[in-house]
Amino acid sequence: MTARTKLTMASVTCVGLAILASACTRTAEAPSAATLSATIPQRTKEQNIELGRQQKTAADLYRALKDEAKGGKRLEWNVMPDWRGVYSRPANAGFAFDPDQAPGAPPTAKLTPEFQEKLTKRIAEVKRGIEWDPISTCAPPGHPRWLTEPFTREFIVTPDQTWLINEMVNDIRRIYTDGRDHVPEEDRIPLENGDSIGFWDGPKLVIHTNQLRSGIYQRSHPDYTERVETVEIWQKADDKTVTADVWVYDPPALAEPWYVKQSYVKLSDPDKSLRIRYWNCGENQNNSVFQTQDGTTQFRDFSFTDKDNQGGKQK
Amino acid sequence: MTRAFRNALLGLGAVVIAAMPTFAHHSGAMFEEKKTITVEGVVKEFQWTNPHSWLLVDVTGKDGKVTTWGFEAEGPTTLQRAGIRPSELRAGTKLTITGRPMKDGRPAATWEYAVRADGKKFNPREGFAVK
Repeated sequence: MTARTKLTMASVTCVGLAILASACTRTAEAPSAATLSATIPQRTKEQNIELGRQQKTAADLYRALKDEAKGGKRLEWNVMPDWRGVYSRPANAGFAFDPDQAPGAPPTAKLTPEFQEKLTKRIAEVKRGIEWDPISTCAPPGHPRWLTEPFTREFIVTPDQTWLINEMVNDIRRIYTDGRDHVPEEDRIPLENGDSIGFWDGPKLVIHTNQLRSGIYQRSHPDYTERVETVEIWQKADDKTVTADVWVYDPPALAEPWYVKQSYVKLSDPDKSLRIRYWNCGENQNNSVFQTQDGTTQFRDFSFTDKDNQGGKQK
Repeated sequence: MTRAFRNALLGLGAVVIAAMPTFAHHSGAMFEEKKTITVEGVVKEFQWTNPHSWLLVDVTGKDGKVTTWGFEAEGPTTLQRAGIRPSELRAGTKLTITGRPMKDGRPAATWEYAVRADGKKFNPREGFAVK
């Protein structure tokens, strides 16, 4: 090996290490959102409710917001919103889809008569001790119910996709921000988390979700149909809080769009002990429940009792 | 307290439980809504599983017969947020535990709170607090 070759190799090594060191430094630093500014204005709750009413469909609202943001702007790796951390929904929101729902009061949605009647019946049954939650078998909650589940969450932002993760059933919503459109209408099949596309307006992520399955917003809450669609505006409200303005459109069930504001608070984890653990619903037979003939919830046999003791008959 | 079921029976009373639903994954309709049961026993096994963890506790009755009770809580991450670790409730640990029993009489209940023999308290629902 000549001296020149050795020198070249040493230079390449140094340059390589310098690039690696630079990359490592960048990884360790907090991403900067200082230069991100939004065009879509901050609106009050009343203004957001009115904004929803002004648009006939979720797609119309999404287009209006995109126009307001002048089409939005793609994120760049060197200027990113910092949504790092493990978050959870504040406990005071309980399970209510609308965190502003007063304790003991019914959900705030304005329902069509048919869906109001269904809700009234559901609430009456719960008062009689009859309740079955469709996710009891570990079926995914699906969106928009996804917004309300109380477990830990992570929000992973990249220029082309954002992943909104909930610990519950290892649930991930993928938001495509690479400019793609929704799945063509003729190929749409209802999915638990639907199909989500979005754009960035500075630090705000605007999302349109369609192609959803029917479900319930939460226990003691209304049903939604397969025509449900949502528009969301996600942003960091302060150092510890990520918020989402949410408009739900579902003409068969909702008399008008349902606007709610969700919050997710970063959990303190100074010793970095928090772990999101994989959900395998089949790992413990004591968690197996079924719907009884009278429509309520019951455990199957327990592992810690010595005989077949399943309570009640299955529906 | 005796080692018998005494507390199980004496502790059965009308107690209003906080408004937050106990379980996110399934309804708690199979449990009593307002009654609680308190038993004294020894940990048989801590099933550290999703979507729910179960603390199995052996309780010795007046007649000397041992019954295993199961107490259901949320999964590992929520327990971790409540400061509960599996190593703190190993098999053989003596404790007193309170929960809402099942309506059908089977020896299972929600895990509302437990107190270890050394006085340390374990409240799984603190895991929902955002702090």
